[in-house]
Amino acid sequence: MVPPTQSFVRNCLLSALDAADYAAVAPHLEPVDLPKGMVLIEPGKRFAEAYFFNSGIGSIVVSTTDGRRVEAGLFGRDGFAGASGLLGSDQCPQTTMVQVEGEGYRIPLGALRGACDGLPSLREMLLRYVHVFITQTSFTSLSNVTQPIEARLARWLLMCHDRVTGDDIALTHEFMSVMLAVQRPSVTTALHVIEGFGFIRARRGNITILDRDALIDFADGTYGAPEAEYRRLIGPLG
Amino acid sequence: MSRFFLHQEIDGDILEDPDGTEAADLAEVRQQAIEAARQLVANAILGGTAPLGRAFRITDEAGQVLLVLPFRDALPPDLFNPG
Repeated sequence: MVPPTQSFVRNCLLSALDAADYAAVAPHLEPVDLPKGMVLIEPGKRFAEAYFFNSGIGSIVVSTTDGRRVEAGLFGRDGFAGASGLLGSDQCPQTTMVQVEGEGYRIPLGALRGACDGLPSLREMLLRYVHVFITQTSFTSLSNVTQPIEARLARWLLMCHDRVTGDDIALTHEFMSVMLAVQRPSVTTALHVIEGFGFIRARRGNITILDRDALIDFADGTYGAPEAEYRRLIGPLG
Repeated sequence: MSRFFLHQEIDGDILEDPDGTEAADLAEVRQQAIEAARQLVANAILGGTAPLGRAFRITDEAGQVLLVLPFRDALPPDLFNPG
């Protein structure tokens, strides 16, 4: 198999690597389809691969014993799934799954660790992404606890928008309700409110972002800090 | 399991539920509607406003209205009339 050429790779983290670092990783990258609902990491089970998305959106979900779920973090072409594998653990209590279908690369954890062992600059870049991801989950916590559903939804739509091409995002109300851990009619109402402001257009199964800057203002500071960290430490996001 | 729709009555207008929800029967979907109404009212009140809607119009897949549930009915009965 011919390794993917770095300039053609759409994963921003892989694109941002130094050529030598990328060259150490590339031979181990195996193209993989990422269908909606695919579970990449199951809670409490050992995993052996990391996933770099070129497209699509994945999320890390946690749940209570009676099945209430909330999304703790979201990623796409900005990063990779399985970062715990670089942090000393090959299992997690969270679920990592594909939320919006896409494609990307799978890489054995052993190969990724091996490449990092020989290349401190590679490890540093991947750990910078972990830092950005932790920053994201911190602001998710802030948003979830302090903001009304409309602002939480605005922030979440911005985070999805960063990870798709174009201004249309394929999302159902059901899916958004699970991600934000709210009742489905709350999503319907919040979309209606945000659409009423002219920030988005909501159609069945699809959201179109119309005014990104207004959405950022509306999110009231809960969107932007993790993204700024990404740009400062890694490179362009999207 | 059947699919039910929780449309909201807003100022003489209807905010449509595009996707619907799966439930075993009307009793189950009524319980979902009660919990949803509580969240809609709570979220609005936290923001210092009244909720947009005032009632759920619960329909089946054919659009037949099965039940109208005023949000008021989802709130504790003694909320504004203690004792």
